[in-house]
Amino acid sequence: MRLEVKDLATGYGKAQVLFGVSLEVKEGELVALLGANGAGKTTLLRAVSGLLRPWQGAVLLNGRDLKGLSPARRARLALGHVPEGRQLFPLMTVEENLRLGAAFLAPRREKEGYERVYALFPRLAERRRQLAGTLSGGEQQMLAIGRALMGFPQILLVDEPSLGLSPRLAEEVLLALKEVARGGVGVLLVEQNVALSLEVADRAYVMEQGRIVLEGSPQRLSADPRVREAYLSL
Amino acid sequence: MELFLQTLLNGLLMAGVYALVATGLALSLGVVGIVNFAHGEFLMLGAYLSYLLFALWGLDPLLSLGLAFAAAFAVGGLTYYGLIRPVLKAPELNQMLLTFGLSVILQNLALLLFGADTRVVAPPYQAATLTLGPFFLGAVPFGAFLLSAGLLLLLQAFFTRSRLGLAMRAVAQNRLAPGLLGIEAEGVYLLAFGLAAALAGAAGVMLSVMLYASPTVGFLFTLKSFAIVALAGLGNLKGVFPAALVLALAEALVSTYVPGGGGWVEAVFFLVLFLALVGRSRRAL
Ligand SMILES: Nc1ncnc2c1ncn2[C@@H]1O[C@H](COP(=O)(O)OP(=O)(O)OP(=O)(O)O)[C@@H](O)[C@H]1O
Ligand SMILES: [Mg+2]
Repeated sequence: MRLEVKDLATGYGKAQVLFGVSLEVKEGELVALLGANGAGKTTLLRAVSGLLRPWQGAVLLNGRDLKGLSPARRARLALGHVPEGRQLFPLMTVEENLRLGAAFLAPRREKEGYERVYALFPRLAERRRQLAGTLSGGEQQMLAIGRALMGFPQILLVDEPSLGLSPRLAEEVLLALKEVARGGVGVLLVEQNVALSLEVADRAYVMEQGRIVLEGSPQRLSADPRVREAYLSL
Repeated sequence: MELFLQTLLNGLLMAGVYALVATGLALSLGVVGIVNFAHGEFLMLGAYLSYLLFALWGLDPLLSLGLAFAAAFAVGGLTYYGLIRPVLKAPELNQMLLTFGLSVILQNLALLLFGADTRVVAPPYQAATLTLGPFFLGAVPFGAFLLSAGLLLLLQAFFTRSRLGLAMRAVAQNRLAPGLLGIEAEGVYLLAFGLAAALAGAAGVMLSVMLYASPTVGFLFTLKSFAIVALAGLGNLKGVFPAALVLALAEALVSTYVPGGGGWVEAVFFLVLFLALVGRSRRAL
């Protein structure tokens, strides 16, 4: 499955945030979307998953225009979104959170989903009866990703999964996402941790003030003087 | 001592029905996020339905129970769709004015249709009592308690085992995530509001036998339910039964031990509400 964003413009109220953004994520590809605070990365993900209405431009899933579809309808079309701030159900157990991720699938796929998620994050299996609100930050992030994977998405949007995690845990989470991509899912990863993202990504975009200003392979971006100065502090 | 225990027993039996009504209120408050002052009017609807079916066709209230559940579910769903949904994003005060207005209209409608008299459903077993050692159990309060407890247990299973039940708890805990997981929150709200009304409707049938049907019987229970929900804590469904027990026991004790207690019983909810709110704001400091 393939996600295309074409010339997308949107914002909040009268304040425009995105100014004609275009990007693409193909099957099995891990694509990093980098950019400073306030560049509009979260806004872009929100527009893709239908939480925010585009002012102009289009979001296409396998060529199908998603215009007018609710977030739930988009999720059912295999578009997953791990939102900023994780947005777990804190008073429910790990397993209940996961189960809600599969709420629209046939019940027999639930088991398959658990197996896949627990294989990817064995820690969640150990804590399946624990309340989500009492998990550590890293475990919460794993749960947020696992919950989205329960719906068997083919495109997965992930918003700053490494936020608040130790370098080692951040790496663990990003490597897990790499594995998800290897399984055929197109992953669009929003990250502030530029060095680490460029290590795992197949391609990357750099966004500044609501526009894509750079695009290319990780090698190319890590060599770019602007990236080195602004994001890698080299 | 016997009087004391008998009093506690009476309170306990009442707590089941209270918990049923208050669980409904807690659902509309916690899941849909609406302060529904018209919640008790779904109870009134169930009570009058039971009365009509009994008066017209002699239908046993036990049989009316399922009908009232379904009817109140439908009316609740329609109310959600027509009245609540349009104001979901409106300021809370506007929502409260709306549900308050609905409550007043429905009470007046009942007054027009049935008059101000209280109507009691009196099946043959209405006055039957069971004796348990030195204690008396009214067959009707005892039956109502068992039915309520059964319904509450079913509800508990629904909320922990079924996907729909999980989804209802989920939308109460996070408004953003369910949509991203393919769950249409709107549909969940509709069903939760219908279920809330249905619980009140079923309780109304029981109360038509235990108490009476009248235009204001629902509002009385709206107030009691607010006291129970305030005591249980917002969004805490498990706390509803213990809180209902506190209110019902307090009422029973007042009715037995306070001179002229009958008149004071209906004010106990206010004391409970007051203490719950004061306790809560103290803990928040
Ligand atoms: N709900 C909102 N209402 C109004 N403005 C908003 C809202 N959310 C974000 N903005 C504004 O939109 C701009 C882009 O925000 P966005 O959250 O997309 O940035 P971001 O790239 O995700 O930043 P970060 O890396 O800090 O998460 C910012 O200027 C922000 O203040
Ligand atoms: Mg962001």
